[in-house]
Amino acid sequence: MSKASVFYDKFERHSHGEGLKGHATHYCPGCGHGLAHKYLAEAIDELGIQDRTVAISPVGCSVFLYYYFDVGNSQAAHGRAPVVALGHKFANPESVVISYQGDGDLASIGLAETIATAQLGAPITVIFINNAIYGMTGGQMAPTTLMGQSSSTSPAGRNEYNGQPMKMAEIIAGLDGPVYVERVALFDAKQRIKAKKAIQKAIKLQVEGRGYSFIEVLAECPTHLKMDPEATAKWVKECMEPVYPLGVKKDITVEPWFKRNPPCFKGEKLLSLAGATSEHSDRFCQGFPTHLDAQDISLKLAGSGGDGAQTAAMLIARAAISEGFDATHIPSYGPESRGGTSYADVHVAKDEVLNPGSPDPQVLIAFNTPSLVKFGPTVRKGGFVIYDSSVVTEAPVLDPSIKVFPVPFTGIATDLGKAVVKNIVALGALQAATGIFPKDTLLTAIRVALKDKCALIPLNEEAFAWGIKSVEALDK
Amino acid sequence: MALKERPKPFLLPEYCKGCGRCLDACAKDCITLSDQINPLTGLVPVELDLANCNACGLCMDACPEPYGLRPAHEGEIQDFELEDPAKLFGVKPSDAPEPIDLPSEVLPLPRTEPLVIKGTYASALGALLAGCRHVYGYPITPSTEGAELMAKFLPKLDGTFIQAVSEVATVNMMYGTAGAGLPTMTFTSSPGFSLMLEGVSYMIGAELPGVFVDVMRGGPGLGNIAPEQSDIKLACHGLGHGNTHAITLAPATPQEMLDLTILAFELSFKYRNPVILLGDGYLGQMTGKVQLPETMIKPGIPKWAVYGDAMHRKNVITSIFLTETDLEAHNVHLNAKYEAMKVEARSESFLCDDAEVVLIACNTPARTAKGAVQDLRNQGVKAGLFRPITLWPFPVEELKKAIHGTQRIVVVEASAGQLEDEVRLALSKAGVRQFPEIESVRRMGGILPQQSEIMTRVLGQKEVLA
Ligand SMILES: Cc1ncc(C[n+]2csc(CCOP(=O)(O)OP(=O)(O)O)c2C)c(N)n1
Ligand code: SF4
Ligand code: SF4
Ligand code: SF4
Repeated sequence: MSKASVFYDKFERHSHGEGLKGHATHYCPGCGHGLAHKYLAEAIDELGIQDRTVAISPVGCSVFLYYYFDVGNSQAAHGRAPVVALGHKFANPESVVISYQGDGDLASIGLAETIATAQLGAPITVIFINNAIYGMTGGQMAPTTLMGQSSSTSPAGRNEYNGQPMKMAEIIAGLDGPVYVERVALFDAKQRIKAKKAIQKAIKLQVEGRGYSFIEVLAECPTHLKMDPEATAKWVKECMEPVYPLGVKKDITVEPWFKRNPPCFKGEKLLSLAGATSEHSDRFCQGFPTHLDAQDISLKLAGSGGDGAQTAAMLIARAAISEGFDATHIPSYGPESRGGTSYADVHVAKDEVLNPGSPDPQVLIAFNTPSLVKFGPTVRKGGFVIYDSSVVTEAPVLDPSIKVFPVPFTGIATDLGKAVVKNIVALGALQAATGIFPKDTLLTAIRVALKDKCALIPLNEEAFAWGIKSVEALDK
Repeated sequence: MALKERPKPFLLPEYCKGCGRCLDACAKDCITLSDQINPLTGLVPVELDLANCNACGLCMDACPEPYGLRPAHEGEIQDFELEDPAKLFGVKPSDAPEPIDLPSEVLPLPRTEPLVIKGTYASALGALLAGCRHVYGYPITPSTEGAELMAKFLPKLDGTFIQAVSEVATVNMMYGTAGAGLPTMTFTSSPGFSLMLEGVSYMIGAELPGVFVDVMRGGPGLGNIAPEQSDIKLACHGLGHGNTHAITLAPATPQEMLDLTILAFELSFKYRNPVILLGDGYLGQMTGKVQLPETMIKPGIPKWAVYGDAMHRKNVITSIFLTETDLEAHNVHLNAKYEAMKVEARSESFLCDDAEVVLIACNTPARTAKGAVQDLRNQGVKAGLFRPITLWPFPVEELKKAIHGTQRIVVVEASAGQLEDEVRLALSKAGVRQFPEIESVRRMGGILPQQSEIMTRVLGQKEVLA
């Protein structure tokens, strides 16, 4: 009841706090915002949380909340206060964050943020000032404007074309996230005492870490309701209250849940999550495979989703990088990745991959007929085409300089009992056909990739060996 | 006795707006509206006649003015009669301490073997190494893997990943965390970035740091999810309403996705301004060799933050400057900051020294162009590549050097000329009037310019489309 110490002793931020303005609010005479401010300030005082409080100022008449409160202040865009509040709360879970909003702010432009934040249930406090009209912009219709009530944008009175008034407290109470929802009013001494208590309780619940709470305050806007303050209070009581019944809408007791450890900045932890290691992997290459290209080898792997083209492509890139070369892999893009064809562009470069795309590859590994038909003709002169002879029914005519290796990837893999290893058969064939890397380079990459599924390593090694054998058989 | 301690109300007429809320509150009819207009306020205050007052306090509860009806002590009323109301309460500034910087720490990391990861993952790791533990986002292809990695890693680091209800909510969560002084970021793609621009403008206005990784895709509208350089103009010149700019970085490799993300955090705190990292759909997906740095950051709390503690109680984060002169002064300050950001211009010039034809490209098209330069050189054509790494500020001084003596400029881009416009604007602002006619290789719709198209253009052969 005495001036809360949270109020500045002089409203320095109010037009630089000069003259009378240094001690008077910018609100119109009789405006409900002033009372709500007072009760909020008293609650902060009584709970002893001035240093921890962050008040989020909205857009609307109360945009200048920060003129008055000697707490941390943050001003938000129209309707976005609850998510700004979340940003503050997550940054410092010890802080007490209060989102203070009008009806245009909370129930119109910020409706999505309002509902989603309430449902998230993180402990913040939302104070919702429902004065049934837009104040700051000059008395337009609000989502909470009553049926028949006139405003500057419903001059003949709100009608069905504008929809029904929004009962926010009921909507919020219907969600599972919030712990406490109450609607209060300011029109008589009894209601004011209840309003004070409700605001205090809502903030206390946050201090205890229990959860999200929402206090809707039926407030007076004498200016835009175009009545004197006394008549406005009467109007709120007689016209608003029947549409927006007062009282507790939800009050559940939950255990505090919002205890968070401070974020971790341990280097080892981050590195282990990233899978980074300081251990040198073994190198098997004598040098860059210049017999394929002096600088940069371009490969394409193509098949249907599930053929394992992407995995094989990635293994080639990993193998190259573990040998100290540069490499890139670009998967095919678009709806193909959800089934259908799938292809990968891979480059292996001595120093730096300049262009990671493979429009005219030196090496094509094709897992099916369409891939071979589509990409076969793009292979450079003197290049290599390796394809799955188990499934390819027709091979296009290619430049005679291209070396072609039909290898039954699928047949071999099926004989080994697991069709999925056909891409490893293909890698074996790649090794034998092109000599791109020593066997151990690719085998190491395969073993590293399977380090969490060790049981599968022998099968994959066998598939790789069969790929090599089939190419060698072709040579003879 | 409690009853005796209850004070009666006291009123400074200057602080009474005459709303009358106290009138009804008093059951004893102690309060009446006066009929005198107060000359200072032009309002009609109430008058108190406390003869019947039982000090119930209900009138004070009913007064919406913090300095309106207040509990009185005899002395105060006496004093009031003698004092100028403006000085009555004295100037007692907040007792909150002056905020100070809690500096961030640079922690050493062991040297590790290179990782083989895709661009979005590299960027996510960069953010974690830069000390970011608060990531908000809304899924959109082709940026989603960044958010997915954060959702996986951050809980293990006691950090926060929240999937917001929209991009609008995302940027405003960032606003909150940035307001608290901590590093925060998001992954998005073109349609999502468009939605964030309201918040970006607010962040710039309120001088808040934050990193936006925009993995650009084809537009306009829903377009498609393939790579296009569709947001260059948006990032360089259209960050919401008002006088806005942000440093815009254009990586071209997974390694740069990591390095430039780390740089983005550093710059965003240095200038208290958002920083945009523009990737393209290819770069997000491209896997490559990524070397981690040998340090990481543990962030502190800057002195301007609203952290929610005693040290930072004094602060306010806001983008409102109500009077025209204040807002103009703020904009002058922001412009000075934009000017200062010019030292951050970065670029790469590849074989430009003796080049007769200079290609200009960024992001993935820059790599295709680099491949073309190599091939052209092999064919005896003196080609070079100029690659802006910051699109805003545009590295115009380096560009001037790169095109010095060249006969041809070819801008290679996956857009209808957004990069070319940046080049032209930068040259024009720098007063460069003489430069070769700009030729272009442009693809759109998610098709990137092919090396063969660049070669065709440079070698002047007939158009061969891929
Ligand atoms: C994006 C955006 N749209 C519109 C506005 C204009 N605007 C400012 S205040 C306001 C209405 C506020 O009404 P309410 O939230 O009910 O608060 P009150 O003024 O009644 O306290 C509007 C529409 C804005 N600031 N931002
Ligand atoms: S316009 Fe209405 S809501 Fe705004 S300050 Fe005046 S009375 Fe209050
Ligand atoms: S304290 Fe009670 S009795 Fe005295 S003026 Fe105020 S309302 Fe009336
Ligand atoms: S409630 Fe306060 S502002 Fe209103 S008339 Fe009474 S003293 Fe004056």
